[in-house]
Amino acid sequence: MRAIMITELKKNLQDKGLLFWMVILPILFTVLFIAIFTGNTDETTRKQVIVSIIPGYVVMFVFFIIISMVSTFNKDRDKGMTARFASTPLRPYFYMLGKWLPYMFIVFIQIFVLLLFGKIVYNVPLEQPMVLLILSIFLTFTVTAIGLATAVMVKTENMGLAITQIIALGGAMLSGLWIPHDMMPDFMQTISYFLPQFWAHQAFQDAMAGNINYSDLFQTLLILFCIGVAGFVLAIFRYPVFLKRSVT
Amino acid sequence: MLNISNVSKHYEKTKALDDVSFHISKGSCFGLVGPNGAGKSTLMKILASIIHDYTGDVFIDNKILTPEQKEKIGYVPQDICLEEGLSAIGNLSLFGKLYGLTGKKLKLRAIEVLKQINLEKRANDKVSTFSGGMKRRLNIGCSLMHNPDILIMDEATVGIDPQSRNYIFQMINRIKNDGRTIIYASHYIEEVELLCDEVVFIDSGVVVEKGAVNDLLKQYATPSIFIKGTPINLDKMKQYGDVVSKKGGYILSTNEPLQVMENMIAYCREHVIELEQLELVQPRLEDIFFSLTGSELRE
Ligand SMILES: Nc1ncnc2c1ncn2[C@@H]1O[C@H](COP(=O)(O)OP(=O)(O)O)[C@@H](O)[C@H]1O
Ligand SMILES: [Mg+2]
Repeated sequence: MRAIMITELKKNLQDKGLLFWMVILPILFTVLFIAIFTGNTDETTRKQVIVSIIPGYVVMFVFFIIISMVSTFNKDRDKGMTARFASTPLRPYFYMLGKWLPYMFIVFIQIFVLLLFGKIVYNVPLEQPMVLLILSIFLTFTVTAIGLATAVMVKTENMGLAITQIIALGGAMLSGLWIPHDMMPDFMQTISYFLPQFWAHQAFQDAMAGNINYSDLFQTLLILFCIGVAGFVLAIFRYPVFLKRSVT
Repeated sequence: MLNISNVSKHYEKTKALDDVSFHISKGSCFGLVGPNGAGKSTLMKILASIIHDYTGDVFIDNKILTPEQKEKIGYVPQDICLEEGLSAIGNLSLFGKLYGLTGKKLKLRAIEVLKQINLEKRANDKVSTFSGGMKRRLNIGCSLMHNPDILIMDEATVGIDPQSRNYIFQMINRIKNDGRTIIYASHYIEEVELLCDEVVFIDSGVVVEKGAVNDLLKQYATPSIFIKGTPINLDKMKQYGDVVSKKGGYILSTNEPLQVMENMIAYCREHVIELEQLELVQPRLEDIFFSLTGSELRE
């Protein structure tokens, strides 16, 4: 399993597309939108906007990892790699875990880099670093679990791309990552309570400002964890079908 | 060593294997011959523990095939399955690790295999820069890492240059000499005739014939001669045996080829017939396959 993990990580580190989707694009978006929204505002509004936009784009762009996860599983399946691994003593579920874990690592690094960028360039507060760390780990789990479920369920990469757009962009829009949550119409606010992005965004903002309270944090972590577990269970449940399709 | 007993396999609509049974003895190089779609790959995947939903039994060393027996088998898939972003060494190490090799042992084994597949010079280059033949060789190398007792090769020489093909043949001969068992599936019957001692002919999922190559040749092939020249009298030839036209000349099957050749030469001299070609024809597996199934192996 370690061998699969390391291979997967190596492949991803060589992949310039991943760097673009996961780091460069969110930074460009962040810079652009901060410039747009703070063009002629006073200092306090400016600070508020920045503190909302930076975690907003973190939470939005972590979901783009689903593209890479779908791609790697589908390529392996279609090339016959999955079938070939099935002929070795590697246990099928270890293959799945081995391919999943590197993405935990990548997304975690991504969050770290994007927050660091916010700190260095915009001097955003990171008041509760331990809380941010724990939040990041939970968010990473949620995102990669959804990614894993998507990856073993879709039949083609294009389908995966479409689903990623819906999850990442749709979720961002409905969760108030683009416009302030309290300015959204009521029905959208209601929907947002069902989306991991909303909870993660709120918690990140609060933890950055240093005023998260622990019952809120606990609630958010629980929600993220449950969604992640649901994704994982779905993935495990659907994995035999994926394996079956790989034997062609 | 390996017993395949009443194995059948259905895909949704197609019956890929229909009650297939045969035995492969230890140390033999065993050919599995049939046209595209015959069911060769399906059978190979069953032996490689990739397909599980089949009926019938497969025994290795008198034990039913189970995941624990995977270590005994090296599987070379029909399609090239390599990590393109890794080097040759990287791919070999990956597969070595999956079979539990680590550290120095892994390194040494990878170097050994690299030598066998003749890719030492490209050890650290990325696979994406390799030619088709080099990838094929590495594809085989990856399944040799754990020193399997049985090597299953599915169309190992499809689409490669003659040089790589020669390397692969040399490799197979070396593996054979090590006393390992090889199962070689191919629709190139000349390769099978060249490499294998035993064969199974398979067509539309059914075994049509099996046996030692030499026995089959003895059993089926009538000696024949090939005659080409103008104008040859067809009726004259038919006195000596069955005649079929081929490649601008005639194939004449007879149990006394040398005598017939003498007669034909005398006949041609007498009638001033210009002979272009007159030769003994070696019996070929290809002809046997054709006569048994009526299907050509090549499209
Ligand atoms: N995954 C699959 N689903 C449905 N039919 C298949 C599948 N794989 C192979 N077949 C069918 O099974 C038959 C045997 O295929 P295969 O074992 O690949 O033959 P060969 O390797 O001899 O060319 C063919 O008719 C093929 O179309
Ligand atoms: Mg095949």
